[in-house]
Amino acid sequence: MNPVLLCGAAVAPFGKHRDRTAADLGAQAVGALLRDTGLPPDAVEAGFVGSVYGGSLIAQRVLQRVGISGPPVFTVENACASGGSAVHLAWQAVASGTYDCVAVVGVENLSAFGGGTLPLTTADVEIDQGMVMPAAYAMRAQRYLYESGATVTDLSRVSVKNRGNGAANPRAHFRQPVTLDEVATSRPVADPLRLLHCCPNSDGAAAVLLCSAPFAAELGTPSATIRASVVRSGRFHTSHRDMTWPDITERAASAAYAMAGLGPADLDVVELHDAFAIAELLHAEALGLAARHTAHKAVTNGEFDRDGRVAVSPSGGLLSRGHPVGATGVSQLAEVYWQLTGAAGPLQVAGASVALTHTTGGGIYGVDNGACSVHILAAED
Amino acid sequence: MIERTDMTDSTEQRRIVAAEDFRDDDGVRLVISTCPACGSRWFPPRTVCARCAHDGTGTTLSGRTGTAYASTVVRVGPRGFPAPYVLSYVDIDGVRVLAHTDGTAALPPDAPVELTSGPIGRDGDTELWSYRVRRVAEGAR
Repeated sequence: MNPVLLCGAAVAPFGKHRDRTAADLGAQAVGALLRDTGLPPDAVEAGFVGSVYGGSLIAQRVLQRVGISGPPVFTVENACASGGSAVHLAWQAVASGTYDCVAVVGVENLSAFGGGTLPLTTADVEIDQGMVMPAAYAMRAQRYLYESGATVTDLSRVSVKNRGNGAANPRAHFRQPVTLDEVATSRPVADPLRLLHCCPNSDGAAAVLLCSAPFAAELGTPSATIRASVVRSGRFHTSHRDMTWPDITERAASAAYAMAGLGPADLDVVELHDAFAIAELLHAEALGLAARHTAHKAVTNGEFDRDGRVAVSPSGGLLSRGHPVGATGVSQLAEVYWQLTGAAGPLQVAGASVALTHTTGGGIYGVDNGACSVHILAAED
Repeated sequence: MIERTDMTDSTEQRRIVAAEDFRDDDGVRLVISTCPACGSRWFPPRTVCARCAHDGTGTTLSGRTGTAYASTVVRVGPRGFPAPYVLSYVDIDGVRVLAHTDGTAALPPDAPVELTSGPIGRDGDTELWSYRVRRVAEGAR
């Protein structure tokens, strides 16, 4: 396979954009990407656009606004892993030598649905019984606390860390730090989870540019190498499931570490799928960042802080940055691009040279999550 | 969702949610599919095994008791499910089922439960009715 480089990134800042469409947000992000990299739109040979609720042909509706009109473009849906899956397909296209320059966009406008929990897929046995995503994570949390001896305060520490990180991120939906007391007294959502244990439904978009090595050299922008790109689907069964061990994350991460020739100890920065505070603990363990049932201790000890052993969600994570579902995976790539090229400003992790991004998409019964994407990137020497 | 509409005593409409997935004539029991080729068990029942693709699954009924894996009180629910309500994941005879749960507090993990049936939500004037679970005292099984 040919080397694949990440050569540019841009976002339309996450937040509530009730008066804007997903296509408009996406075009803002990819338009900024073209301007920042100096790339003419007709140099883009293919486009992949991740979105869950954007509707038919959202790829065309985004890309044609900025002159990417005519080449093959594809809309990619994989729930909350849609953006990461779009990056993976773009990576395949460049790694195989099919194309030298591919644009990836993630877009979502969730304000169109009003407030409350997200609408899930219909005709699902659990949704027919009143299931919502916070309830699924709440039960994971209850079981994790039971098995590990962690407390609700340990969950709250994840929120405090990530909201504190996001306070310095101009692209984040929430830019106010929160205290343990504020988390503990926020509105209950699904016991033991409270509102500040949950990420917000956000609107936003992100775009990244993937290039072959020769194209990247000609373009001349700062770049990072994609050392691994992996997507896995959930293993479907309706028997006993260990909901504190997201095996989809472990399977994707193991494949990514093997592809990159790296391990969890090599990582300086991780942006993982902290849709709920409990998710950071579960996925950190499945990614190998902490031993089983100990991630809560790592958070308490500051090991996942921006200046800790490995910076976990220095951008603020989903808890702070927000979660415009299809855009999330692409925005993670954008955040680590800035980390690895030394352009992360107040978010910068000193000496960041290897980063991992991770999304999972859930919402159907019989799997722990429906899809998972993992990328490992390294700074240029 | 397979539905069946009955009239309740109060002549209010009642819709049975997942009506083909459980029986309520000799205590509440789940309808489980079993695969003769690979031994997988499935709930809700299905004709094609989702592990080995064998297309001749058999059917068996669950027992009446199981074990709670995890549980929560939903404080913000979707339309049709007035909060708060308790949901639990329960393991029964080799299948994992999500069910509404009697009471106002989450079940502790590993609590023994039994199947029951009752209202789970409301769609306008129609009561939604399905299988549920409730805690049983230790040693009562």
